[in-house]
Formats: sequence, C-alpha cells, structure tokens
Amino acid sequence: MNIQKTGYHGLYFPDLGISLDGYHPEAEVVFVSHAHADHMPRNRKARAITTHPTLDFMDCRGFTGSGEPLAFGESFENNYCRVSFYPAGHILGSAMIYIESDSGTLLYTGDYRTPPSPATEGFEAPKTADILITEATFALPIYKWKSHEELTHEIHSFATESLNDGYTPIFLAYNLGKAQELMHILAPLGHPVMIHGAGFKLCDVYEKYGIGLGNYSVYDRDTCEGNILIAPSSAMANGFASNVSKKRTAYCSGWAANESRRTQLTVDKMIPISDHLDFFELIRFCKQLSPKMVFITHTPNPAVVEHYLSKEGIENSFLHLEADPED
Amino acid sequence: MSEFSFHSYCHVLQRIRETRSTNAKITLFANCLKSAEDEKTLALAARFIGEGAFEEISGKRASVGSRTSGLAAAKFCEIDYELVFKPCRTATGSSSEAIARLMENIPEAVQKRNPEKLSLSEVEQIFERLQKLSSRADKEALLWEVWKRMTPVEIKYFIRMLSQGSLRIGFETRSVVASLAEAFGQDREEVRYAHMITGSLGKTAVLASQNRLDEARFSLFHPLSFMLASPIESRAADKLEQYVAEEKFDGMRAQVHVDGPNVKIFSRDLNDITQTFPDVNTFFAGRKLPATVFDGEICVYKENKILPFQLLQKRMGVKKPGKKLLEQYPVLFIPYDLLFTNGTPVFDLTLMKRRELLEKSAKKYKLPVTNQYEISSDDDVKNLFDRAIQHGNEGLILKKKKSVYEYGQRRKSWLKVKKPGGSFETVIMYAHAGSGKRGGTYSDFTLGISVKDDERYEEEFIPIGKAYGGYTDKELKKMNQKIKELTVERYGPTLGLIPELVVEIEFDDIQVNNRTKAGYTLRLPRFRAVRWDLGPNDVNTLSDVENYFQHKISQERLTQIENPSFTFHANDQK
Repeated sequence: MNIQKTGYHGLYFPDLGISLDGYHPEAEVVFVSHAHADHMPRNRKARAITTHPTLDFMDCRGFTGSGEPLAFGESFENNYCRVSFYPAGHILGSAMIYIESDSGTLLYTGDYRTPPSPATEGFEAPKTADILITEATFALPIYKWKSHEELTHEIHSFATESLNDGYTPIFLAYNLGKAQELMHILAPLGHPVMIHGAGFKLCDVYEKYGIGLGNYSVYDRDTCEGNILIAPSSAMANGFASNVSKKRTAYCSGWAANESRRTQLTVDKMIPISDHLDFFELIRFCKQLSPKMVFITHTPNPAVVEHYLSKEGIENSFLHLEADPED
Repeated sequence: MSEFSFHSYCHVLQRIRETRSTNAKITLFANCLKSAEDEKTLALAARFIGEGAFEEISGKRASVGSRTSGLAAAKFCEIDYELVFKPCRTATGSSSEAIARLMENIPEAVQKRNPEKLSLSEVEQIFERLQKLSSRADKEALLWEVWKRMTPVEIKYFIRMLSQGSLRIGFETRSVVASLAEAFGQDREEVRYAHMITGSLGKTAVLASQNRLDEARFSLFHPLSFMLASPIESRAADKLEQYVAEEKFDGMRAQVHVDGPNVKIFSRDLNDITQTFPDVNTFFAGRKLPATVFDGEICVYKENKILPFQLLQKRMGVKKPGKKLLEQYPVLFIPYDLLFTNGTPVFDLTLMKRRELLEKSAKKYKLPVTNQYEISSDDDVKNLFDRAIQHGNEGLILKKKKSVYEYGQRRKSWLKVKKPGGSFETVIMYAHAGSGKRGGTYSDFTLGISVKDDERYEEEFIPIGKAYGGYTDKELKKMNQKIKELTVERYGPTLGLIPELVVEIEFDDIQVNNRTKAGYTLRLPRFRAVRWDLGPNDVNTLSDVENYFQHKISQERLTQIENPSFTFHANDQK
C-alpha cells in the first residue's frame, strides 16, 4: 500500500484518495483522529470526517474547513476503500481509523490509550489488521503507568490534603483532554473547581456527551482561592493564581514519571497520568493485533520498539512523524 | 515507629526529594535520625545522606562507574544495554533512576528480586566488599547479589551513594547539620563546628546524640575541607578596608599536615598526594615542626620565578616522579593560612590572628609565606593586581580580616579577582543530552574551532572543548529548536550537527593535551553568548588557539626578587 507523508503529522494514501490527520490537496477527504492541534487539519479547503465530539472541539478551536461526522460503528466508503472509527481512549471523541481496501486492512491508531481514559468513549480495536500504524510516544520500558485506582487516589489525596492544610491545589494539565479527565476524577469530591478559560470553553462538549465534570466554573483571579484549580503549565508563567500565596501545584502528565521534570518545573507533586498507552501495553497491543507489518510513529526512540517487535517476529519500520512534546 | 531498615531509610530520602520546603526536609530527616535504634545506625544514616557510601576522610572509592552499574542492570533486567538501556538513561537523564524504574517495570527483574529489609550496617558491609573488588565481573556479581535483596528505590539510592556524589534530593551538608541539631536539641553552630573538626557526619551525629559535641577533636593527617573564594563580580566587596589582598598563585591548592618528620599533603578534593610531591615532603620533614596544618599553594618555582601552571601539570598525577622530572620542575609549597598549630586548632580564630601565628611559624622554621597587603581603594587593588599578573599569577584573593576559616564553604569572606580568561568564537558540533536537572534537553555541547585552511587536518572543524551552563532556560530552548533542524546524525544520547550555530565561549586557561584532536584543552570553558548573528566562517581557528597558548606560556614573568608575591625566610641571610 502506498503511504506518503503530508505536512509534519499527516499521512496521504494516493491509491485510496484519502489522508489522515493532515490535509493533502489531492485527497478527497481527510480523516481526523482527534482534536489536538498536531492532528487537526488547518486548511480551509479541507473536507474533514471525524467523530461528533471531535467536530465540536474543532469548531471551538477555529477549524475553518467543512466537517462531517461519522459515528463509531458507521463507515465511509468511496471507490477504493471503506473507513470506520474505533474508540481510542485518548480524549473524548478520539478515534482509531480502520481502512479496508483491496490491498488489505490497515489500522491507524492516532493517539490512543489502553486501558482508556474514563472521560472517553472507552477503547475498542478491530480483531486484526494487516498493517498497523501506531504512535509510540512513551516507547521505553521505563514507562509503565500506575493503575487508574492508584492515580485516582493520588489525585484525590493531593486535593484534599492541600485544602485541609489551607492551601489551594492547582493541577497543571493541558486544556483539552487531561484537564477534563482530572475534573471527571475530582467530581466525586464535590469541591468547586475553577478551570482556565481556554479549557473551560471545551467543557460543554464533555457535558453534552454525558461526561460529568462536577461542580465547575471558569477561572476568576479574584475568587479562585480555596477552589481546586486547573490550568496548563504555561499559564503559571503568565500570572495564573499569582495572587494566591498559599497554593500547591501538581504536574499531571506522562512525563511526570521523569524526576528531572520536577526540578525543571518546580512543582510540589508529580502525577504521572498519561493519555497515551505505556510501553508494555504497546507491545502487548501489537502482539494481540498480529499485523503483517507495524509502522511506528511519534517517538524519539523508534529503535527500542523496533527491537522488541523484531524479537516477537513482527515485521516493522519507523515512519517519521513528529511528536508534540506537550502531549 | 516501624523498624529502621535501609528500605525505610530510602523512603525517607525519596520523601525529602519530593518535599519543597527546606525546613520540612530538615524535620523529615531529623525524625529519621531520632528513630535510629543504635549508634552505628545513626552514624550510617548521617553518613549515607551527606557523604555517600564511605566517609569522605577515608578517601575510599568503590569505583563502580555508571557503565559498570548500567551493564549489570541491563543483564539483570535481560535487556540490551546499547539498544534499550542507553535510551532509557538518556530519557531520564539519570542512570540510577533509569535502573530503578526498569527494576520496577520489567517482569524478568521483578522475578529476580526478593526484597528483605537490609539494615544500614549490612549495606555498609556490602559497600566495603565492593570497594575491595577490582574486576568488573566481580563487581557485577556482587551488585546482582545485592539488588536481588532490594526494592527499586533502595537500588536507586544505593547506586547514588556508591558514586560518592550528591544523592540529588536537594539536601546538602548544611541541611544534614541542621537536622542533627534539631533531632538532638543541639546548637546548630556547635554541630557545624564538630563536623568541621571531625570531618565526619557519622561521628558528629553520635557526639550530638550523646550530648558530647565538646569532645570533637581535630585529627591530624585527616584533611579538612578547604575554604573557597567567590568571584568578586557576583559579590562585590563593600568596604575594601575590611580586606587584605594576597596574590592568587598560578599553582594548585594543597593542605600540608606536619608533625615532626611525618608529612601528608592533600589536594583540593581531599586526596592524599604526598607521593606525588616528595620535594614538598622532604622540605617539611626536615623542618622539625610541631603538629601543624597549612593551607597554601604548590607552584613550580625555578630561578626565583613562579612558572606556569601548565608546567606543574607535568608533575600532577605522577605518583613517584623520577629525578629528572623533579629537577626540571621543582615545586615549592607556599603556605597562606594556618589551621592547626602546636597541637591546637586555630581555624576559629580571625584571619589576622591566624596570620600572626603563621608568620611566627614561618620565621621560626624558615618557611615561605605569602605576602599580604592592606588595601583601601580600587587603585590599590588595581596596582596589586597588575603586579600579580606580571608575576605570572592569576590575580588576587581578597580576604576579610575578621573572618574565621570557613571550611568547605564558598562565601563572601574570600573574594577572587581574576583576570578574565580568553574567549573564542566556536561552533557547536555535537549536542549531548543533559543529566540531572537538565535531563530531557540537549544541554551539553561539544564546540569546534576551524581547521579549514590547516594542512594538518582533513576536516573543517575539530573539537576544542565541551561546555554547558551560562545560558538562560529560554536560550537553551531556542538552541534546542535550532539543534533539531541541524541534526544529521544520532549516536545514542549525542546528536551530530551541521556546524552552523556559533557560540562565544570564555575560559580560564588553556592547556596542552595530546589526547585531543586539537592538542589543547580549555580550562573551565563556559558560554558567554550564543551568537545568532555569526556563522561558521566567523569561528576562531586552531592557529588562533596555538598563538594564544604560546603567548601565555612565553609571557615574561617577573622574578620574586623585588616586590615578591611571597617571602621565603630561608632566603634571609643574616
């Protein structure tokens, strides 16, 4: 199957007339796996097909092309192929893209996480695929995530202990996905949450699709003290809650697994909660799908995954697409 | 209180690491010290956190490098060292952290481990056994045996203790001292003093716990940490009259302990270097001194001139120098401070009092001693500075008259006035993944100079040195973006770059080093500026470097006959 790159992140399939996660002038449509900036087409001429929530997010984030929804379980067909979506567990609306054509089946994962984030539609994959194109953001055996229960416990205790000690807890998490996942996890505490403006406008979409985010409002500098606060780490440098002297910050990201991040960010707590799957899940998933060929993308360490897949007898190759280090 | 084990101890270390407030860290460790059930455990708890596996004054090293522990860990986890372990190390920026996490995650490693709550004494015995091994295979076998009995967090700190460096938990000696004071209701200053005298956190801990701090005794032939000087630019002297000036010799710092015919010489890093300098040894052994400790400088001294440090280098590290070397590069130890005399410590006296005693001793036993000058104006400083440079020395040290000897500290009491070293425009050839605080970024750089028009070389650029630091976080980020564009090759944690990014570096000195391609190395190279405005054609050439060196080494040096930088009483002919 002929696969070409388009832009930094996208793939173009000239034989099928489609592209994935990147606009290509020759492609009839572009399938969008999820609404993070590095996967969303920017071009006004783009005709995008994606899930309902992703389409809503893209609208909020200034997508100027035309969009058509495709639900999980439905499929799109043209003269060359049939395309359908599988829930990817990464953020709400995130989808893996499954392509069936005369030259076989192909699964493109986009960003994915298994076990899935609780603030998503879950995770489900086809039984098998001839070709797997997988992201491998955390593709080193030093990355193995804690269970959802352990992380929930860490998140709850950080919030309640800080509040009990008279401190305002701040969770640093990026605006789409992680922020709402934290809100969803924090909701049972019943404590009011304030979220940074850029993330706030995306919360409606979560509520619309039935993901409860608890008792929240938009960040207000004057009244934020004593609330649980959620903001991207970049906001801290721009004076977010700088008027609150008694506060504690927790950095929430897969990268929080690395000690060096602590010194670089000067935070009180590191919570290694990721919305990508870890190394061990990745290898397990590849084995389970038993494809004829695996293409690895979005990783600084392709050689490590290649090494492990080859050990399992799975043919593989690196497909150079850039990873966004903030994810 | 639960049982005190290496396991519980390492958990305290980890909690200290995860705590931000210094006071909270100190309290955490104070509580840990209080829970130690015996003297031995207490001493080890204080030592492991502040000094590492071995007492600093013991001079012992386990010599388990990061390659040895990395290779052993890779085998233990049944992973490929080059292909898997190295990228893990690069991503974390820390070998010990990578090892701990692999031990936690990899099923083959989890299976082998059967943690069993070792006591601190058992761990100490393991350190001792490791220290006696010399082959990598033996060390590896012992590491395996130990790791099988540990949890990942224990393995991480075990490895860090072995490297005898910082545990990287944001808890330095000063905090250990504060914890000892808090744990046993002692005065912080008294604990500090006892530590200075004993040079041992373990001994200090035991004395503090038994209310016996006043019994701390300095012991001769055990080195004391050196007092260090701060650069004057960063901490300007406010009142010059409070200081005296001495020339900063172009030599190496040393501490000499003497008692009659017995002499020991210690270097800045507290290693015993007596055998390297038999001439200094003989000199002092023949002077029949009572128990005395001097702080001073070893210089090559010939025909009344202090000769360049580059010549002293030929003596450094040579364990038993031959006759020829001794004749060619004779050295002199020039004392400038006195820490111990006639069997009594004097480092707690003011500089002026110590000086008085030092001069007395120098006169009586015919020793050289540095000259000291009163200063009251910038002009005084400038004149003395110029003369020091003419002597071939590095500049001046300004010393506060009323200061005590602040062992192991770099504060405002001593200020160094150095002539700015040289600077070159260089180009970044390789970028290396940083470690520790800079883990996860490319923060260390191999810098090249041009040999385009040099017939001796085929390449366009060759490395002249490696530098890190001196840039802001913002600049580093910008450089990392540029580096991404320039990368052409990847060797594990190192990137080969198109030589395009120009950096102005500054250095203290330049030395011949035949093991490098350029034949020279720079001393303390650091960034002065990233020159976004310059290109690879603007960088300095190897001939520039050679000229700089020649100029430096052949620079005329004034003799010590008139206005000398030190007085040698042996030369006083009555």
